[in-house]
Amino acid sequence: QSSAGPGLYLEVISRVRVNTQAVQKRAQHLQAQKIPRKQFQTAWLLKAVTCIDLTTLSGDDTPSNVHRLCMKAIQPIRADLLEEIHMHDKGCVTTAAVCVYPSRVADAVKSLKAANCSLPVPQVGSCSVSHRVPEVRLAVRDGATEIDIVISRLWPSQDSGEAMYDEIRQFREVCGDAHMKTILAVGELGTFTNVYKASMVAMMAGSDFIKTSTGKESVNATYPVAVVMARAIRDYFLRTGHKVGFKPAGGIRTAQESLLWLMLIKEELGGDWLRPHLFRFGASSLLADIERQISHQVTGRYAAYQELPLA
Amino acid sequence: MAGSTTKTVFDIFQSMESGPAAASSPTTAQAWLEHHSRSLGFFIDEKFVLPADRRSRSLNDGKGGVVCSVACAEEADISQCAASSVSGFKAWSGLSCERRAKVLLKLVSLLGQHTQCVSELCELCDASASPSALVRLLQYYSGWAQLRDTLITGWTPLGVVEVVTSDDCSLYSLMLKVLPALAMGNSVIVVPGWSCGPPALLLAHLFTGAGLPAGALNVLTGCDMTLGAKVAQNPNVSYVTYSGNKQDGVTLCESTAGMGVPVSVSPYIGATCPFIIFESADIDSAVEEVIEAAFKKRKEVNWVLCVQESVYDSVVARLRLRMSGLKCVALLRESDSSLVEAAVQEAQQQGATLVQSSAAPPSRTHYPPTVLCGAAPSSPCVVSPSPGPLLPLMTFRSNSEAVTLGNHSPHGQAASIWTEDLTLALETAKSLSVGSVWVNSHSVFDPCLPVSGHKDSGTCTDGGQEGLYQYLRPSSSTPSLPRSSPASLDYSAFGTETPAPIIPVDLDSAPQSLLQLVGGKTCKSVSGCSMAVRPQEGTATLGYCPYGGRKDVRNAVEAAIKVQPGWMKKTPSVRAQSLYSLAKALEAKMRVVAGSNCIQTSISVEEANAEVDLSVARLNLWAAYCDKVQGGSLPMPKSGSALSFPEALGVVGVILPDKHPLLSMATLLGAAIATGNAVILVPSEKYPLPVLSFIQVLQASDLPAGLVNVITGSRDQLAAAFANHSVIKAVWYWGSAEGCQYLQKTCTRPLKTLKLSCQTEEDWTQSDPALLEELWRNAVQWKSVWIPTA
Repeated sequence: QSSAGPGLYLEVISRVRVNTQAVQKRAQHLQAQKIPRKQFQTAWLLKAVTCIDLTTLSGDDTPSNVHRLCMKAIQPIRADLLEEIHMHDKGCVTTAAVCVYPSRVADAVKSLKAANCSLPVPQVGSCSVSHRVPEVRLAVRDGATEIDIVISRLWPSQDSGEAMYDEIRQFREVCGDAHMKTILAVGELGTFTNVYKASMVAMMAGSDFIKTSTGKESVNATYPVAVVMARAIRDYFLRTGHKVGFKPAGGIRTAQESLLWLMLIKEELGGDWLRPHLFRFGASSLLADIERQISHQVTGRYAAYQELPLA
Repeated sequence: MAGSTTKTVFDIFQSMESGPAAASSPTTAQAWLEHHSRSLGFFIDEKFVLPADRRSRSLNDGKGGVVCSVACAEEADISQCAASSVSGFKAWSGLSCERRAKVLLKLVSLLGQHTQCVSELCELCDASASPSALVRLLQYYSGWAQLRDTLITGWTPLGVVEVVTSDDCSLYSLMLKVLPALAMGNSVIVVPGWSCGPPALLLAHLFTGAGLPAGALNVLTGCDMTLGAKVAQNPNVSYVTYSGNKQDGVTLCESTAGMGVPVSVSPYIGATCPFIIFESADIDSAVEEVIEAAFKKRKEVNWVLCVQESVYDSVVARLRLRMSGLKCVALLRESDSSLVEAAVQEAQQQGATLVQSSAAPPSRTHYPPTVLCGAAPSSPCVVSPSPGPLLPLMTFRSNSEAVTLGNHSPHGQAASIWTEDLTLALETAKSLSVGSVWVNSHSVFDPCLPVSGHKDSGTCTDGGQEGLYQYLRPSSSTPSLPRSSPASLDYSAFGTETPAPIIPVDLDSAPQSLLQLVGGKTCKSVSGCSMAVRPQEGTATLGYCPYGGRKDVRNAVEAAIKVQPGWMKKTPSVRAQSLYSLAKALEAKMRVVAGSNCIQTSISVEEANAEVDLSVARLNLWAAYCDKVQGGSLPMPKSGSALSFPEALGVVGVILPDKHPLLSMATLLGAAIATGNAVILVPSEKYPLPVLSFIQVLQASDLPAGLVNVITGSRDQLAAAFANHSVIKAVWYWGSAEGCQYLQKTCTRPLKTLKLSCQTEEDWTQSDPALLEELWRNAVQWKSVWIPTA
């Protein structure tokens, strides 16, 4: 399924209607929900941890800080805390992936191999298509199993999505078996209707995930945008029976927010999507806050940041 | 959730359940109740009053525990309360507008201090009201209190207003009646149903802290709904208004018939409302909102989902996905569970398919949210909705069919329509005969929206400036009904007398045979009977007019209903021109009409001419009114456009007074048709000649045939015929006290708007603007349309 896509159905896209105020109202309603408590909260936070794409995207990344990141990804929560809640032996508490620039993929793969762990390594591209296609090819060869792609031709373009579709198809081919996450840069799309349409085009072109933004723009993952994208995913599922994943990125920093995101996904898409292969957080500082929150749940005390291992 | 504490983190990690909700404990409200020893008295004259030997009624929460008990008022309490309200009215109406506004604003800050207590108490009593909604109400009406004398000149408060609510009414709806009444300077007696009882007492207490004079707001509680009528019987009460379910509203109307106190009702609970999804809608949002609207534990209205055929599959697919995980909804009563089961089974037998939450099986207290796909307007689940979280789903083909489906219901409360097409939204909003239209949203309430329930959903307007007039009267008016006790009246025998037989006596004088006007044609009565017309002084027979009955009324309604929608759709300026032409036609026929008035009422020619002149002036005035007074956009505290439209009631039956037969007719006829109604006029039984001569004026004008009908005959008989025709939405009646009592008693199924008067000496020549405005307001119902935007 991964590399296939059903093709571009412009007729479906042209009929998309999104009512902005209704979406905003829905997003407000979702944010006002009561979050799970006690051990429920702990479990949900752990789930959030397993959905994190632990990210470092700085120009000055070197093998050493990528190595630190990889080690944290393998052991995201201090072992004694996990033991306290009997989760240490379940072997499921790692982050979903480590997310680095293409040039650091080889380093990350090496660190993870050395630790005998098989976390996927996605990467985030840049520049124009002609640059990025070889970049992606390189990353896949270096062992990246998930690729986050930035596309340059965004909705609304003059040709109602065909250029965007073609561009994503190019990436799709070079990605091969690697999972492809398409970054929509929702801040630049203007309207929710465009977000919906762009999501549909990305899915029709064979994306395995659709992602809100690189995490480095001014407008990042907001709840209303998430509602729109989740509904596009639902629409695509109803039409094709294929489940596409969702990755919000940027601005998600607190444990509280991560819980709201999980609840939003559960409400809009259902429990099936609460798994790392269909939902990811793109975040760098979120893990620290979640670990701190879990530590509070377990010990009843608020930990200082230095008490918990650095990423 | 006994097992929830034993669930390990790993279990939850796998299943991702949300866990039990935090149980809120209403400690503040409990402490307040405890402070009152859990037995609440009445609130009269700034104090809680609990006479020793009163019976009491205990209020239970959902789980069967006793929340508190309230006392049941007796006759002595009612008179004590009414006396206090009279002095409260004196003190309160004597204050300046500014002071009254300040009191309402002061309560906002008091509410802020006691939010916890108010909201917990509301929750305990199931009176559902958010403190922010109450604050908005107070702020809105404080503004009106301040501006009453500036913006509403020529009107004066009524006196003591009684506000009654049913057991299931929300505190918001109660306050939507109480606050405008207070803001206009009335004193209020609240007779709350059980859910609003304790919160109303608490608010009345808080009000005293805000500086409301003693007696301006009193609260009486009772053991059952009969207390409302008992309080209304007190001669100090000037007006009764009701909010709640239909059944109790009807009972209140019936039991107050003949007391001589005007009663209006807003039966907003239990109405059937369409939720229309067009193919141009944001389907995902529409589905989300219908789920939120339809599956509440305490559902105030019964939604019916209407979906355009072309998007039926995608709506149902989304419903299936979204509803699969929904929790079961608690039933209000255990006895409801068998009703719900039966309703679902019946629907299934008739071919409905279910979309149902599979999260938990039904139990005696809970039932899963269920959509009944394939329902039809004739399905029992649509005709007589059962309790519980059931939502019938119907499909429609075209936009006009959606309107037909939405309108084909006795109710006219509200509708929610979903489309991204603005033209379609506005056209649909205009065509639906409901009081509130919510475009791409639902259940939006705000005091700035004027809402009158159309058809069977109400007889008064609440909210907005329009909603204030029910608590005011023109300063120059006098109460139109004398206070009395209901007479023992044989309702089945009312208006069944037979006409006096006409026998040939004096063949030489050969009085003329007069004709009535039905559907634009002059005709005899269906029965063929006639009655003699005699002058005011003397016994000579001036002529024989038709003795119309219910069949004549039926024919007139048929004719009226054919042309009325077209008349209402005409632009106001076109209606104005028609009225001007009517006035002109009257001027042209002045001599004939004045002559008939002379013969009939034995007035001088000059007087008769003067009456025609005044009538012409009145018609011209209404013509001018047509395109000047309109609704407009409303200041909603949210982003979007809120619009209000005055709409015609439909067919109005008018039984004309004896006084000034021509002028009164011109005044009332003009008010009715200027606003887009069709009318059936019944001329004074004694003096029909001027109106009958006016028929030729009507025929000479360019009013559509059938818009104005004239039927002569027995006043009582025709009043009874009006009362028993469901199409007639309003009856304006001048006549006997028995007639008023009869109409109040019988115009309840469906509800009709009544304007009743027993006054015989009304002076129709005075042209106080407020008096005429009151007539105009009686001839319209309001619709508000809310179009939210981002």
